[in-house]
Amino acid sequence: MCPSVSKSVSQLSALTFIAKSWHNDACSQNGLPLTPNSISILGKFQFLKTIEHENLTKYIDVQRGKHERTIVVSEYYGSPLTEVFLKIPSDERLETILKIFFHCANGLCHLHQKDIVHHNLEPSNVLLDENFNVKMFNYGLFYMTRDNDDEYVSFPVGNIRYLSPERMLGNHGNPKSDIWSLALIVIELLFEISLWVNMKFSQIVRKILSYCTAGGSVLEKLAREHNVLVKYNNLDIELRNFLESCLAIQSKDRPSAEEIISKETFLKFYDAIQYKEMKKSIVEMLPIERLELTQVYYLWQLTGGDVQAELKKEGLIRSEAPILTVPRLFMLQNGKSHPIHKSQSSLFDHRIVTLNTNNLTERLLLVPKRAFYPLLHCPRLPNNFGIEMQSLPLVIRERNIEYQFYRIVLFARLLKAYPFTHDLIVEQAKIDIPPLLRGRIWACLLNVLPNGKYERIDKVTPNPTDRQIEVDIPRCHQYDDFLSSPTGHQKLKRLLKAWVTAHPQYVYWQGLDSLTAPFLITNFNDEERAFLSLYNFIPKYLHNFFLKDNSMVIKEYLTKFSQLVMFHEPKLAKHLNSINFIPELFAIPWVLTMFSHVFPLHKILHLWDKLILGDSSYPLFIGIAILKQLKGTLLESGFNECILLFSDLPDIVMETCVTDSQKMYEKTPKSVCHRKHVLRTEEPEVFDINSVELSDIQREISSRISANDLVHLLKNKPNDVIVFDLRPQNEFKRWHIDGSLNLPFTNLMLSDRRLEALTIERNNLNNKVVVVISVSHENACLFAEFLVDCDVQMVCILHNSINTLRSIVPSILVGT
Amino acid sequence: MIENIFNENSASDEVPKKNYDELDEEVITKLRNNEITVDETVKNLEKWYKDELLDYCEKDCPSNDEIFAQYYHQMVHSSSLQDILLKEKNYASKISSFVLRMEQEIGELNQIQQEVMDSKINLLDVETTSDDINQLLAQQYSASNLMRKQYESELEAKKGHQRNEYREWITSQIGNKLMSSSDSTPVGNKASMFPNVCEKPFQLEESFTIYLGSQLKSMHNIRILAADITDLCSPLVNENNELMINGNIQLGVYSSSLCGIVVLVPPGKSQVSANKKIIRNANLSTEFHFDPIDTQLESIQDDLKKINEGSSETSMSTRLKPGDFFITKHSNLSQAHLIFHLVYDDSTTEMNSRHPCILGLRNILKVANSYDCHQLTIPALLKHQMSEEMTMSWCVRRAELVLKCTKGFMIESSSWSGSELSTLQLLLPHDISEELFMTISSMVPNIFRVANPKIL
Repeated sequence: MCPSVSKSVSQLSALTFIAKSWHNDACSQNGLPLTPNSISILGKFQFLKTIEHENLTKYIDVQRGKHERTIVVSEYYGSPLTEVFLKIPSDERLETILKIFFHCANGLCHLHQKDIVHHNLEPSNVLLDENFNVKMFNYGLFYMTRDNDDEYVSFPVGNIRYLSPERMLGNHGNPKSDIWSLALIVIELLFEISLWVNMKFSQIVRKILSYCTAGGSVLEKLAREHNVLVKYNNLDIELRNFLESCLAIQSKDRPSAEEIISKETFLKFYDAIQYKEMKKSIVEMLPIERLELTQVYYLWQLTGGDVQAELKKEGLIRSEAPILTVPRLFMLQNGKSHPIHKSQSSLFDHRIVTLNTNNLTERLLLVPKRAFYPLLHCPRLPNNFGIEMQSLPLVIRERNIEYQFYRIVLFARLLKAYPFTHDLIVEQAKIDIPPLLRGRIWACLLNVLPNGKYERIDKVTPNPTDRQIEVDIPRCHQYDDFLSSPTGHQKLKRLLKAWVTAHPQYVYWQGLDSLTAPFLITNFNDEERAFLSLYNFIPKYLHNFFLKDNSMVIKEYLTKFSQLVMFHEPKLAKHLNSINFIPELFAIPWVLTMFSHVFPLHKILHLWDKLILGDSSYPLFIGIAILKQLKGTLLESGFNECILLFSDLPDIVMETCVTDSQKMYEKTPKSVCHRKHVLRTEEPEVFDINSVELSDIQREISSRISANDLVHLLKNKPNDVIVFDLRPQNEFKRWHIDGSLNLPFTNLMLSDRRLEALTIERNNLNNKVVVVISVSHENACLFAEFLVDCDVQMVCILHNSINTLRSIVPSILVGT
Repeated sequence: MIENIFNENSASDEVPKKNYDELDEEVITKLRNNEITVDETVKNLEKWYKDELLDYCEKDCPSNDEIFAQYYHQMVHSSSLQDILLKEKNYASKISSFVLRMEQEIGELNQIQQEVMDSKINLLDVETTSDDINQLLAQQYSASNLMRKQYESELEAKKGHQRNEYREWITSQIGNKLMSSSDSTPVGNKASMFPNVCEKPFQLEESFTIYLGSQLKSMHNIRILAADITDLCSPLVNENNELMINGNIQLGVYSSSLCGIVVLVPPGKSQVSANKKIIRNANLSTEFHFDPIDTQLESIQDDLKKINEGSSETSMSTRLKPGDFFITKHSNLSQAHLIFHLVYDDSTTEMNSRHPCILGLRNILKVANSYDCHQLTIPALLKHQMSEEMTMSWCVRRAELVLKCTKGFMIESSSWSGSELSTLQLLLPHDISEELFMTISSMVPNIFRVANPKIL
């Protein structure tokens, strides 16, 4: 009866089954393809991961294989009751049985409170350790494979021996059915019997159904049938009556799990039935015992752990050669194939395998002990584990077990102390973000503090945007298992409705769904965190983009985008201008969804890792980085080709895109990206850019730089900046910026569009911010235009005339 | 700020709980009142548990085919591959030379008979009467029939003998193999592919790598080629006794990367029938793994009969209709494990995306998806031969329809949770003009998004 087929001791186990496949391929009501049942299960399963209780094993992961194969990974613990049964010491027999009874009821109580029914309770799913502490196992099978009246699998859940009468008659969902099963298990222990061992399936069913019609005490009948009437009569009368009530034919007469655990019987044995944990000191613990189980599983996968392979090895996934099962005939009329082949390998096999973690243990034994408990504020013992690996490409770091171990341990520690560790988290996130903790880290970076308000927002009342939301959700990143599951749809809908309700000043624009998706998949089980992350993300990057009339905001944004393309990629920008391929034609979905509509989710995650660390200007550089990657094609293309290219964007290499945008972001002075419509925390000073209108940036090819930024550059990075001073020579001589070049505008012949014509060395301009200053703004613009025409990068114009400089920092000025 | 915005009096989004206790009481009462019978409940429950749970079902032993499949797959993925191929080649050449001899002798006999007949007819009313001729005709017919029957029964016996010998040999070899080593790939793994080059390269062919999907992109290969359908289903050995296949088919037969070909068959016949040339090719060597093609066709006929008996509708005729297809399995044809025989008819209705044959194509892709068929060849014009009415513009329109529909089905297939097609072969008639071939192959990059060359 032992459900496990492998012998190695492990805390992780895997169970597999096949979801029901859709035989006829009708479409769902909205005309979209049907969701595979394994995906529905995957969505439903996620909630089970949140269950933590001392009498319940933890659910870790669910995976999908080909052909509706579904694999569930969960905690495994001790040995099943079927094995321990005989080891119960006779002198403490009653106490021990009561303890098992109590622990099971306690676990059931927790499940029932969460609206989960077990429906799979049998001795092999009750796991015990040496102290007879109980953890119930496999309690989510019924929950994850059904949703209201939809059944995602074709097989029944629950051992027929322990099935309550109403379940045999086809009713499901009543938590009281679990009480019946529990009572039978306890009775087997008390009477030291196995129920109906020699009876056939049909006889068992008849037996239980006969109890329903006959009336009288079920318990007594059971005892009589198994020749244990003496034990029945010797049973504590209170306990006997109580068990009899648990075996009431009518479910309403059975006590609830909550009533069981508050029963006085247990009070008498209060000490005996408590959960006794074996405390181990840190030194005794195995490395993996110091980690959370989800972390263990994540790292186990990084060491090459493959659940499917383990199941195959133990023969729990048996695959027949597909050619042997191919049908012979397929009729168009009824959409069915013939003959339908049902192989035994697709039947439900309730056995499990435990996952061998030896490999992981060995790897972790080599890790310095101190790394398990990194010190954060101790300069003498700095936390620099894995620092040598930081120069490796991100994909390698994400697959390296030691590196991920260091990062996870560190971040887990930092997150515990958030918000006090906010700055440390930002600093570490700049290096990289471990995928396992991404959702929580993002939330910290976005200054999210859970406040319980999400629960109280109205997410239900119908409103006019519902229709659009209903249309958008089944089209939002549906290749992703999470987002295409019914659970994912429900969650996304709730988040969107909550956001709309929380922002009466804004409207739902298409694209909000894509924008929400990354937060949902990183916080699938924490809607509040997903919501608050979105809530803080939008004002940071998309302030006022969701106004009913957002045209001014978008116009300014796209104009700024054009200017910045000119700033970094003048040649490309000029080409796009010449064919009239303006950002309005392609960049609106980029901006409005922060690229989440354009890329697959796994790429968005890496992109946003950096985006979230940047300010509101960062997305502009991502846009430029994408254009840069397509530069070759774009330069050769005309208007029509460009439109076609962007209608189905080719594969973009995300790593290059991230590093390019990062570089540009760092090189560009903040004021160059200045936009009026951003959320400001402080008012601009005199020497920052202010009062620049949309008409100004529409007119000017090159951006403006603020006096503050110029001074900052000159003081801190004098080699990264070159200044062209257009004033007449005599004024220049009186005072000028140290190191600036004087090109009196009146002498300039700008008709010859070559740098050489003005004897400017191109090499001097490479990789530098080129600042044009003049008393006359128009002159500065003309000269900047000339430079851009000569493909000079990073050209900008000083905002307000040069005279402003005199008033702030005379120290950078020199005169004769 | 947050405080002002949040709506404090929210509606509850919980589904009202069912009153389970009441529902339970109802069923128990029904049972007590005999509205639910015990027998029925027992029967249904027992059937449910036995059909679905491994613990309760009557375990049957793996069939001979399954066991042989495992043995063979292990053998073929070991150093024995060469031996297997050699053995198959020897067997095949015996059969094919026998078939050739049979065809030749029957041909010769027919010729002699024809000559005799001709001379008799010339002497009609001179030396012979019409009765004589009728008698001769009957005589000749029975003579040639006898000869054919003799050959055929001999052939069948030979094949049966070969098949048994071969399967025994594989089974005996596996014993030795298991003793010596265990370096084999389990059934269901991908076959390790040899480069998929044929002995006879096709004159007109071009390959593309394409991406499908708007956000997450999946990569597929497309090969467009002009060839005769029978060249893709050519026999194991050719007339010169050379092995025509390179082991791909053998390696892949029990793997989860099968090759399939769509062959069009005309509708309207009451008998299930396949392309004659393909049947001949399949019969040129022994089918070691599956039933001979004729037997397979017979079982399909039987299935069809059974379906019609089962259905109450009288409108269902025993004939296959356009869009229906049947599948035969092969291990002795050059490029196909599975042949999808699609019933095709474009005479009655205008061809569009809702045409039964296009829907049949979709169902083929679906079956291919559920049974791990990784390479599929489809006739891109839904024609195997060029004809008068197939003008340039007709061909372009037809190719566009088939390509676009196939693209749609491939995108759709990503949600079918089977295995995705890795290579799609578009077959054009072998007698297509080079110009037309170029035109159609240049449509591929316009309809599918072709992968950009990787610039490093």
